[in-house]
Amino acid sequence: MTALLEARGIRKSFAGVMALHFVDIDVDAGETVGLIGPNGAGKTTFFNCVLGILRSDSGVVRFDGRDISGLRVHERARCGIGRTFQRIELFAESTVREHLLIAERTRHGTGRLWKDLLGMGRPHNDEIARCDEVLELLGLGAVAEAPIEHLSLGQGRLVEVGRALMTDPKLLLLDEPSSGLDRKETADLAATLRKVQSEKGFAILLVEHDVEFVAGFTERSYVLDFGTMIAQGPTREVLRDPIVREAYLGVPATEGT
Amino acid sequence: MTLATGVGADFLRALLQGTPPGTVYALVALGFVLTYKTSGVFNLAFGAQAYVSAAMYYKAHTEWGWSIIPALVLSVFVLAPAIGLTLERLVFRYLRTGTSVAKLVVTIGISLALPNIFELITNFKGVVGQTPAGIVPNGSGVFYDPFGVYPFSRDELTTIGVAVIAMLCLAALFRFTAIGLQMRAVVESPRMTELNGIRSDRVSAVSWALSSTFAGLAGVLIAPRFNTLAAPDFFNLVVVAIAAAILGRLVSLPRALAGGLGLGMVIALLGTFLPRWVDSNPWLRPFQENLTPAVPFVVLFGVLVLWPAIRRSREVSDPLSGVDPPISSLALATRSARSHLIGRVFTVGVLGTVATIVYFRADASWMFLVTQAVIMATIYLSVTMITGLAGQISLCQGTFAAIGGFGVYQLATLHGMSVLVAAPIAAVIAAAVGAVLSLPVLRLGGIWTAVATLAFAFFFDAVAIKFSWVGGGNTSLMQGTRVPRPVLGPWDFADDRAFLVLAVVVFIIVSIVVVQIRGGTIGRTLRAIRGSEVAAQSIGISPARARVVAFAVSAAIAALGGALLSIHQKNVNYGSNFSPVSSLFWLVLVVSLGARTIEGAALAGAAFSIFDPLILRGTIFGWILRSPKRVPGFFPISPKWRLILFGLGTLQFARHPEGAVEFWRGRTSRWLAARQQSAPPAPDEPTESIGVDGAVTS
Repeated sequence: MTALLEARGIRKSFAGVMALHFVDIDVDAGETVGLIGPNGAGKTTFFNCVLGILRSDSGVVRFDGRDISGLRVHERARCGIGRTFQRIELFAESTVREHLLIAERTRHGTGRLWKDLLGMGRPHNDEIARCDEVLELLGLGAVAEAPIEHLSLGQGRLVEVGRALMTDPKLLLLDEPSSGLDRKETADLAATLRKVQSEKGFAILLVEHDVEFVAGFTERSYVLDFGTMIAQGPTREVLRDPIVREAYLGVPATEGT
Repeated sequence: MTLATGVGADFLRALLQGTPPGTVYALVALGFVLTYKTSGVFNLAFGAQAYVSAAMYYKAHTEWGWSIIPALVLSVFVLAPAIGLTLERLVFRYLRTGTSVAKLVVTIGISLALPNIFELITNFKGVVGQTPAGIVPNGSGVFYDPFGVYPFSRDELTTIGVAVIAMLCLAALFRFTAIGLQMRAVVESPRMTELNGIRSDRVSAVSWALSSTFAGLAGVLIAPRFNTLAAPDFFNLVVVAIAAAILGRLVSLPRALAGGLGLGMVIALLGTFLPRWVDSNPWLRPFQENLTPAVPFVVLFGVLVLWPAIRRSREVSDPLSGVDPPISSLALATRSARSHLIGRVFTVGVLGTVATIVYFRADASWMFLVTQAVIMATIYLSVTMITGLAGQISLCQGTFAAIGGFGVYQLATLHGMSVLVAAPIAAVIAAAVGAVLSLPVLRLGGIWTAVATLAFAFFFDAVAIKFSWVGGGNTSLMQGTRVPRPVLGPWDFADDRAFLVLAVVVFIIVSIVVVQIRGGTIGRTLRAIRGSEVAAQSIGISPARARVVAFAVSAAIAALGGALLSIHQKNVNYGSNFSPVSSLFWLVLVVSLGARTIEGAALAGAAFSIFDPLILRGTIFGWILRSPKRVPGFFPISPKWRLILFGLGTLQFARHPEGAVEFWRGRTSRWLAARQQSAPPAPDEPTESIGVDGAVTS
């Protein structure tokens, strides 16, 4: 059986600097995988190559058995790859529910100009019901009508999760979800994510700095350093690996670039 | 005459001929890139700055009789840097966190306001039918022919010399001075420079002064090439400069220089060789006659379509973007349902009263103005569509409107179709043109849309309308582009009153279309893209597709309005209605009053048509004081104030993109809400959204 996400031999360089050096990563359906590494290790570059924001110099990305290397960002999203952002990206001047509504509408692809003109483009009751279901699941029911400018960062991140969920993803890419959150908020976020995941059954690929969060949240992890995969395996073992410890804490010369 | 003949000599002659304008284009391109890189401002006001210096030189030298040197010093080395510094200090320093599109809109406003401010202060009236003097005596009368191929006039040689000196000075400044080094650093990475303790506002001020001087110099040097001295000619200069600068991806100074020079030569080469093909391909004639606007357009679109690297330049991300402050939230709709309703009723009531008075009491001239206002409001809904909803700046709405007008002219007058059928067909044609036009710039968005549409507007203005299947060719020269008024059943729209009703009906229908789109899938999709393009893509939205739709709908609305305007005036009147400069003014008007709302478009329509006669000529005071004789003596105010006022009105766009109307309405309702809170609470106030009022008033 093939994995849900298969990235094979991803290579990317920026003006001669090798950001990713033949990286292979697999994510199976329903599993939770971490991708860790010090600053500048190439995590975000890898992420962008999977999402199609960057084109890798060589290598193949397969999703659900299909080669998606040539697809554009929004086409990959439609294949079932959802994501959140490190620095939250929400739609200004919209309420929380509107974020989910537009995602729901896009998933069905039923928006047409003539429907808008005939007044059929307004939110339908069944759409609103589906959005509210997800909002309840995330604990955002009380702020459904609030404009996103009035949310806390933690709530904003949950809105991103909810928006991604409305596209019915098979894989959710989380880009440093704990950044900007304190310990308690991080723990709450992890609990909510776990709850939603067990209900919806999607896979998660987590890029994260917070080793503690990764240790508690993921089963398996990959470790990148200077664009090269230096370790992979069950998260707890990986984190004990002396090479990994050196990459993170080790000699000053290799520290954060 | 030279003795050399043959293709080789022609080629050489064209290259030499293209050198003087090429060096001026290079100057403008350099100045343009300089401000863009050091302050992120895509300065479309560059042409206006060049015009002001050229006009100042003319005023001092020709009208006041100053000798050349003091006139040159005043116009280029005093006035030009002063304008640059003023703009930097009073305007752009406060817009640093604004988006590049917001800054672009502000520069458009300035480019309309600046020439008028200058003309008001110095009482300068544009020069027509006289070639402005150059900066050497008898510049256009003495010739030198160093290569025996092309005789340079004294003006041309001076142009080359001065431009080369200016560029050498710039190079020396960059190379040998501290401020030059800092400027280079800012060009490389503004943020890193600032983190290293260099005051980037000082660098920015210097580069504004410098680029403004370049603009002024270019203006004075290029002026003798025109046989008039008027602001629109100089606006075209900006388009040429952008085309030159784009070859260096808007960031490379050497490439901008090469681009400017190259463009000058290409224009001259085509000017030499194109006539040989025109005889066998007559459709080339409009190109040949208008190379200066046509070539930049072709270059610009060629680059956008054929050079994928320009698109990839967006991939360059700032490594420190994570530490950016969050974008300030917009003034939200904080109105309660009741005040919303009161506002609506009030608006409808006022409009109804005005409509009734106009319908029954107005004389022919007021009827004309009010009808025009309603039609302009319809056209402005196209700006609401593309700028308000899609967040894109289109500078060719006038061109789309012209397509509507010419479409009706062609279909109705030349092919005998009913006007009422022709107008929708023209709208569909414009929609197709808009969609095709938007294709190369779709993935770029932002300033590129503005640039591409601006180039298209000038191209249409110079070349396209000369084709007989567009502007009617020789027929229209003899008879004008006449358009009949329609008759529909019992209604004869030749009657002005009936036509006013028709205009109002069309406006209402188009308003409903815009409101439906805004509330429907497309409006929500566009709002998502405007909010965050990456996030919109992450849920499967294709920004390109949504923008094509927005562009096409906007073009169709503009064309419908343009058709209506032409029917109203019984003639297309391209020059006075739809020129590229009028597109700019439309955008400025709608943006400063409110690009997001129907009311904004309606007010902009009124402002376009009625502001001048009602306010500036003081008529309204005559009505209030019940006698035209008691109107204060300072009326009539110069109509230039309209351009100045609304041009400067764009300044608030960066911080309040919803426009003046929404802004003041928000203020008022917040003030009312605050008063209500100090008074005993009103029972069961229905609110539109939970938690909004509390957050605003707390």
